Amino acid sequence: MALSLPLLSRFAPPASGDGATLAEAELVTQLQQGSEAAFRTLVARYQDRVYTTAFALLRSAEEAEDVAQEVFVEIYQTVGRFRGEAALSTWLYRLAASRALQHQRRLNAKKRFAYFTSLLGFNNQVLHEPPDHAHPLAILEGEQQLCLLLAHIGRLPGQQQVAFTLRHEQDLSYEEIAAVLDTTVSAVESLLFRARQTLRRHLQPPTSHA
Amino acid sequence: MPDPVVRPGSEEEWEALMHQLRQQPKVQPRPFFYARVRARLTTPRPWLPGWGRVPAYLALLGLLMLAVSGDDALLPPAAAAGHYPSQAPQFLPH
Repeated sequence: MALSLPLLSRFAPPASGDGATLAEAELVTQLQQGSEAAFRTLVARYQDRVYTTAFALLRSAEEAEDVAQEVFVEIYQTVGRFRGEAALSTWLYRLAASRALQHQRRLNAKKRFAYFTSLLGFNNQVLHEPPDHAHPLAILEGEQQLCLLLAHIGRLPGQQQVAFTLRHEQDLSYEEIAAVLDTTVSAVESLLFRARQTLRRHLQPPTSHA
Repeated sequence: MPDPVVRPGSEEEWEALMHQLRQQPKVQPRPFFYARVRARLTTPRPWLPGWGRVPAYLALLGLLMLAVSGDDALLPPAAAAGHYPSQAPQFLPH
């Protein structure tokens, strides 16, 4: 799935009209003028949100760091095209989600390629997956369930994964998720419903026990 | 043996799991994140993609290009192949 990245969203988040919004507009203006201080403020203000979004989709600190850096570099280089019709946070979430999914696809392709080259004997990489030393009985029950859930979230289709993550880990409203995904609230509801159905189906116990 | 894991069959169990998901420890970037972003901004981007910086792949690409576009250089020219050399008639009996 490729998230489209128009800088102008049809869905602006609920306009609060408070100081934060005004400060955001001012911040964007200063960024467009190339202010170093404004960029530092932007990074300080949004680094946690961008990083946690990337981490929630990639489940790796290193990859999340890489994506978060990439997002801020892209913001710095393209802020001149930002016209402010969507909130800056919406733009950041959208970029973070999109770049994290791209990163995930690249990693998957790299894994497949590494497997292929290892079959041909081009390198000495191991052919098997690294073993998971966490024995199920050694993990607390709840943690095991959570691990299972996270694994299945990672296998959801891209848009469902982003919607589910933003809703349940970032606590974004349906309107905010719709703005990030550049879609409607009902489409977000549908994405979340399908994600939830899939996850519950995978986590449910087998119906019959002999 | 009964399954020791409580699976989210019911709504309550599912909600408990969602609660657990929200209560995960918050992750944060490592300190001096801004410095690393600045460093990345000032570092020139490589002009070749990752695979292009592996000599074996680059050599393979070169061979491929040669095979695709250099065929007429490897084969004898069509004009020369279809005719005798210009000196040949001199050796023929009159």
